[in-house]
Amino acid sequence: MDDGAVRLHIYRTLASTGRAPSALETAAGLGLYQDEVEAAYSRLAAQRTLLLMPDSHEVRMAWPFSGVPTAFRVSGGGQSWFANCGWDLFGIAALLPGDSLLETECQDCGESLAVRITNGQVEGSGMIHFAVPVAKWWDDIAYT
Amino acid sequence: MLLFRSEEHAANWCRLRSVELGAVLNLETLWELSKAWYGDRLRPDWRRRTRDEMHELFASLGLAEPFWRFD
Repeated sequence: MDDGAVRLHIYRTLASTGRAPSALETAAGLGLYQDEVEAAYSRLAAQRTLLLMPDSHEVRMAWPFSGVPTAFRVSGGGQSWFANCGWDLFGIAALLPGDSLLETECQDCGESLAVRITNGQVEGSGMIHFAVPVAKWWDDIAYT
Repeated sequence: MLLFRSEEHAANWCRLRSVELGAVLNLETLWELSKAWYGDRLRPDWRRRTRDEMHELFASLGLAEPFWRFD
């Protein structure tokens, strides 16, 4: 069982469709049994490569992608994605071959923030705040 | 990690929640960090970086304060 192949399938599916594949879909895509793939999802989560929804094998986070809708949206090339946070907006853009539009809101005043990545250059204003020191990121990764 | 219009807006957000202001980066530094941190995730040979590699990556962008250390 190659967990790397499962990881790559999840990431490539997220990149191409904006959706995280279920274990059943990954099993079908790789010609594996569903229970094998569920075990791989669990191992990848234990290694902190994925975050799964509680008591399930649904992908909540495959950084920088979010498997669930969030207030952090990326679009480009006719596709759209959800990110986990402000950093991951830029992380998704870093994985895309073309230009992208990153959208969220200022968490203080609620004003819309839109940043464009065009020809590898940042166009837009704003800043990011990392509230949690690196050493404590995994104390509560959903908050981080 | 949240985006704000300015550092003043981030500071206000922190004040309302009684949390200390953490690290603030401009969007250009964030973009460089994102390319370095995430740019290899779609590669078949991706592997998790070691702590030393993560520290080196942060330091290469001028992020060398204790805030950016895993230990």
